[in-house]
Amino acid sequence: KALSELDPYKLKVLAVSSVGIGGLLCYLAWRKKTDKIPFGDGWWRVGQKPLTEDRTIHLFVVETSEEVLQDLHERIDKTRYTDSLEDGRFHYGFNSAYLKKVANYWRHEFDWEKQVKVLNKYPHFKTNIEGLDIHFIHVKPVQRAGQKVLPLMMVHGWPGSFYEFYRILPLLTEAEGDFVFEVICPSIPGYGYSEAPQVKGFNSLAAARIFHKLMDRLGFTDYYVQGGDWGALITSNMAQIKPECIRGLHLNMIYARAGSAQTIISLLVGRYLPFLVGFTREDVRRIYPYMQKNVYELLRESGYLHIQATKPDTAGCGINNSPVGLAAYILEKFSTWTDFENRTLEDGGLEKKFSLDDLLTNIMIYWTTSCIIPSMRFYKENLGTDYHKRKDNTAKVYVPTGLAAFPHELRHCPWVWARSKFIDIRSYTYMPRGGHFAAFEEPALLAQDVLQFVKKVESKRPK
Amino acid sequence: MQTVENLQKALSSLGPCQLQLLAVTSVGIGSLLCYLAWRKKPKKIPVGDGWWRAGEKPLTEDRTVHPFVVETSEEMIQDLHERIDKTRYTDSLEDGRFHYGFNSAYLKKVANYWRHEFDWEKQVKVLNKYPHFKTNIEGLDIHFIHVKPVRRAGQKVLPLMMVHGWPGSFYEFYRILPLLTEAEGDFVFEIICPSIPGYGYSEAPQVQGFNCLDAARIFLKLMDRLGFTDYYVQGGDWGAFTTCNMSLMKPECIRGLHLNMVNAKAGGTLTVISLLVGRYLPFLVGFTKEDVERIYPFMQKNVYKILQESGYMHLQATKPDTAGCGINDSPVGLAAYILEKFSTWTDYKNRDLEDGGLERKFSLDDLLTNIMIYWTTSSIIPSMRFYKENMGAKFQKTMDNVTKIYVPTGLAAFPHELLHCPRVWARSRFADIRSYTYMPRGGHFAAFEEPALLAQDVLQFVKKVESKSSSPVPYYS
Repeated sequence: KALSELDPYKLKVLAVSSVGIGGLLCYLAWRKKTDKIPFGDGWWRVGQKPLTEDRTIHLFVVETSEEVLQDLHERIDKTRYTDSLEDGRFHYGFNSAYLKKVANYWRHEFDWEKQVKVLNKYPHFKTNIEGLDIHFIHVKPVQRAGQKVLPLMMVHGWPGSFYEFYRILPLLTEAEGDFVFEVICPSIPGYGYSEAPQVKGFNSLAAARIFHKLMDRLGFTDYYVQGGDWGALITSNMAQIKPECIRGLHLNMIYARAGSAQTIISLLVGRYLPFLVGFTREDVRRIYPYMQKNVYELLRESGYLHIQATKPDTAGCGINNSPVGLAAYILEKFSTWTDFENRTLEDGGLEKKFSLDDLLTNIMIYWTTSCIIPSMRFYKENLGTDYHKRKDNTAKVYVPTGLAAFPHELRHCPWVWARSKFIDIRSYTYMPRGGHFAAFEEPALLAQDVLQFVKKVESKRPK
Repeated sequence: MQTVENLQKALSSLGPCQLQLLAVTSVGIGSLLCYLAWRKKPKKIPVGDGWWRAGEKPLTEDRTVHPFVVETSEEMIQDLHERIDKTRYTDSLEDGRFHYGFNSAYLKKVANYWRHEFDWEKQVKVLNKYPHFKTNIEGLDIHFIHVKPVRRAGQKVLPLMMVHGWPGSFYEFYRILPLLTEAEGDFVFEIICPSIPGYGYSEAPQVQGFNCLDAARIFLKLMDRLGFTDYYVQGGDWGAFTTCNMSLMKPECIRGLHLNMVNAKAGGTLTVISLLVGRYLPFLVGFTKEDVERIYPFMQKNVYKILQESGYMHLQATKPDTAGCGINDSPVGLAAYILEKFSTWTDYKNRDLEDGGLERKFSLDDLLTNIMIYWTTSSIIPSMRFYKENMGAKFQKTMDNVTKIYVPTGLAAFPHELLHCPRVWARSRFADIRSYTYMPRGGHFAAFEEPALLAQDVLQFVKKVESKSSSPVPYYS
């Protein structure tokens, strides 16, 4: 009745508004959520931010001195060891007998001056962003005829460094095929040659933003990012805060968790009817027995995380004064996170996959820069403050993503769980070998996976 | 009805002899069932035995007790000073206070005092003012001090063992010892303070598996070797677990158990219900007003707090050899690690202070003496291993899910202890609580921080137990 009372003009207005409102509602309901995290800003020194910003990039050379070596040697000589328990192996932590061997090598055979030359074979730089001197290496590729050069930033984690990438860099910067990479490996602020924040609150979102600013300052508008450990979180954050700059995201550590009800159900069902919940056979093999592999093992291995996320300044104080203590603390991770079975070995299986020279070079970066405490604070700044409430935790990642699932990674994440966070997975690979320190341990495998992922992404990009 | 008829038929068909047999068997089975249903649960746990050196146990046991003197040397002090001088500090974050751990600026002050003013030789004399001894039990040299009382006319002398925890030592009892060994009143104590194996001057186990059940048994053997058959025990931290185990293994020897850290079973539906209800209707679940004040807000006070403060425990319970390695080389690192506990476990609010409030309740001399015991004996790693050995599969057994504790018990609930345990929860573990006191002040290191209050509570507890005790007072000259 009401409608029939209206004149044609009013009817038209009503029709158009309804369609308009309906369309708007449809759009709101079905639009692609972008979950964009604000880019933000920061200043990490004590005191006021100056009016002008220093954007210069200056060369940096890793140096050493006689005093540094002398002091190191004296401290190693004065180490007070505690005998391991009978048949303790690596179950109580780093085995004392093997630690003495490592320390002995470090004292008498490790050549730091030679390793410094190795570090300097790629050009190093520093530039000041948000108040901190950010260190990075910039590796230009050997470009063959007809090859595309793609920029790539690779981000390390804890207790690693940019040095972890030295074995994979040649494979990516001298690759044959359609493209080759120009690689930037920065140091996270508080790690190695990057300056440490002086004020509270520096977390992975801040690191992500700083790395975007770095790429921008270097003239890159569009680039790939790759990472594991903290590097995985930081590069994911980079994809969340400025997706338009991220050509592709490749991770060797997948930290996505499906929502709890879904996870529990898929865990309960997945063991017996994996196909029902989207698990593959390989997923089943890697996840179960669940309590053992995921809960028990993680509890056993996360003591360091717990203390660093709550009392980093206390945790790092002693080992900043004891090179052998620092080595035990860090190398325990290179042992256990490469393969849990290493805990049953007298020597932790360290030298199966890594050379002592490489391992000690990484430790020297922590030792010579006294950065162990700032590196640990990153845990508290990220995890100590309601991580699950952070926007980036629930927000999804929309850029083309490649995931490399290594068999001895701390935790396995099936594709079906990863999908809930990474919306555009172009590649998901069950890697045949390798653990947490993928680039360091299995550079050829990781390089291969990065290349195939990039190839997929590039082939789908509009010309 | 059919079955009853059949039964009646069957019974009537039996001869008198068979009926008697059936009757006796039924009564027998019935009584057995009654017994099984209502028998008293065991009041003890097995004592067991152990050998803690690598290699075979010898045929004869060395039971000698020999005097021990704490010593120091010029080399030790020289080395300590050099290491302190070479400390590499990391500036704390702006306004970090004690929220990230031990504050760097204050740590420098402590290190400076330690380097230039702390007199270790003088402190060694302080340590030696009570007689020290060592004796070998289960393969390990067990250290203890033995403090004889000043006995007044007509006073009863009661033996008492006081057990320390981590990161403390027997030295924590030096302020309370005079109050107990020179007490006026009906009785006075003769006190034994041992060092847990792996801590301080007690030798560390060389093989795996040494936990607080083993420590308890070793201390029982110690008291036996010294000629005590009947004694009190007191403890906090690991000392609480150990003395509880002593009471479970040989209750006939334990005249009374006094704890300043109460670790009752906190699991189960009962706890959850009492937590949910207790906030609004405390009387319904047996909470007092004081309980409510100390427990709630529960998440904040208990769960969040535990997570914030238990990183050390998690690390030490899994990787003790790694955790202790660096701080065994760095005295300042060791000080930061240990003193952070003396700060935070005395009062959580200390985390908001630039200096962690350490010197409010403790003197630097006392704190550093405790640290020197860890430093000079290189015992930090063995002390941490105790955490790993006590967690894991065996932990459930050490937590006496087997039985309650039946010896007379006195509980002192200090307001700033890490977790508050209401009497109603404590009752699920301690069957004979003679005394439960809400202490007015004090935190985790009760004997060290509030010796007078703790002594007072121990004395009033012992008085209660003695007035009801039918067993003769052991008198040891």
